[in-house]
Amino acid sequence: MKKKYIVFGLLAVSSAYGFSQPAINPFPKKKISKSSIQIVYSQYIQDGNHSAITGGIGTEKLKVYAPEFIFRNEIDSANSYSVDAGVDVISSASLDNIDFIKSSASKVSSRVYLTLGYDRNLKNNRSLTWGAKGYFSIESAYTSLGAALSLNWTSPDQSKEFSAELEGYFDDLRWGRLNGERPLRLVYPVELRYRDWFSEYRRRSYNLNLSWQQTLNDRMILGFMPGISFQQGLLATPYHRVFFKDSSERVENLPDKRLRIPIGIQLNTFIGGRYILRSYYRFYWDDFGILAHDFSLELATKLNPKLTLTPLIRLYTQTAAAFFKPFRGADPAQPIYSSDYDLSAFTSYEAGLELRLAGFAKQRRGIYVSDLDFRYSFYKRSDGLYAHMLSTLIDLITRKKTKLKNFE
Amino acid sequence: MLNHYLFIRRMIMFGMEAAVFILFACACSCKSVKPYQRAYLNDEAMQVGKRPIEKLSSNAHNYREGASGGGKAKSSGGCGCN
Repeated sequence: MKKKYIVFGLLAVSSAYGFSQPAINPFPKKKISKSSIQIVYSQYIQDGNHSAITGGIGTEKLKVYAPEFIFRNEIDSANSYSVDAGVDVISSASLDNIDFIKSSASKVSSRVYLTLGYDRNLKNNRSLTWGAKGYFSIESAYTSLGAALSLNWTSPDQSKEFSAELEGYFDDLRWGRLNGERPLRLVYPVELRYRDWFSEYRRRSYNLNLSWQQTLNDRMILGFMPGISFQQGLLATPYHRVFFKDSSERVENLPDKRLRIPIGIQLNTFIGGRYILRSYYRFYWDDFGILAHDFSLELATKLNPKLTLTPLIRLYTQTAAAFFKPFRGADPAQPIYSSDYDLSAFTSYEAGLELRLAGFAKQRRGIYVSDLDFRYSFYKRSDGLYAHMLSTLIDLITRKKTKLKNFE
Repeated sequence: MLNHYLFIRRMIMFGMEAAVFILFACACSCKSVKPYQRAYLNDEAMQVGKRPIEKLSSNAHNYREGASGGGKAKSSGGCGCN
């Protein structure tokens, strides 16, 4: 009997105590916002002897210093936005040869760009994501506005992924907007400014990029990336010279339309426990007459859990555009002509090394250093052009937890 | 020097044929992967497409070569006319 009273007494006390306290949810819902900050610094040093500005002869010496800042924030599990901003500081010897004034402002030019992006998971179908991007860039001879829409689908078991992106770029090739000069105009080589060579100054580009990614087994992923690109408007560069067989001189003239079809295939394979082989092949065709093959291999070698060393090699070959002619090789009767060696027949190779340090455990003020990357490569083209490319990247991650009031 | 570049051209053609063969062989050997078997697949180096550290190389290829696209690289929005 006494036991009964004790049990009822304990129950009464505990229930009274329980009702007097606010309800505590042992598992309150929290919103986790994750931010990633990537700081990239790149340097490009090039030299060669086939500048299109001087008609296929002359220096192609060029230096580009390119700091870039990429910020991506996952607001919650469904929404994220990104900001990508950067500056390319360009020091070009060949640009001076537009007017042959070595001390002109053209010697050091710059390009400033900004991309804003937004991605959203669809509520009813978490495997479907759509995104939108806006792009703006400006440099002394170029202003570009762009927009892109994308759609991404991932299968529930994550073995397949399909993405499609439609881009549009609307470019203005008139000189001077960055320098505040008026009126804006196309700039021609100094000795060819006696007439306006082009009435069109706009270039429009539309790209459709598709990607199909298939997991083949627990160590292999295959990517298939076809695309199609259409350009219209002023595709020539107004300050590229062409010297003809009869020693006359004109401004480069290209067709006003260009259709490009690239098809990329990538196969990534985990070989053993330490090596990842990234292999890539691209077939390319366009209606300028260029047919190109591009093949690259990267062997990521995990020296320890934090350090990855990746030697890389890339081989490339292309045929010449139908209207390409070297210095004093063009026929003055031809309507379309160019001495730009980027459109000539050549082969090229690139060899380099990448070092990646990852998995830093330490954090400071909620910021983790996710990884540090260094990449150097040497590029050589069969016409003699060569370049050194150096990039460094710091990847930082922040995580912020916020309790959701409605669920407390 | 010419032979050297002919060798590169032959290597690329060989790579292309090998890629087609590998693609066909791989497409025939798909098998389902459980979530707990994705440790290798989730590695950063296994991700398909270009990474931010490759952006400079991609831009240089776009500007210095006739070909572009085929792997999420931007194919306009800058003149690269230097």
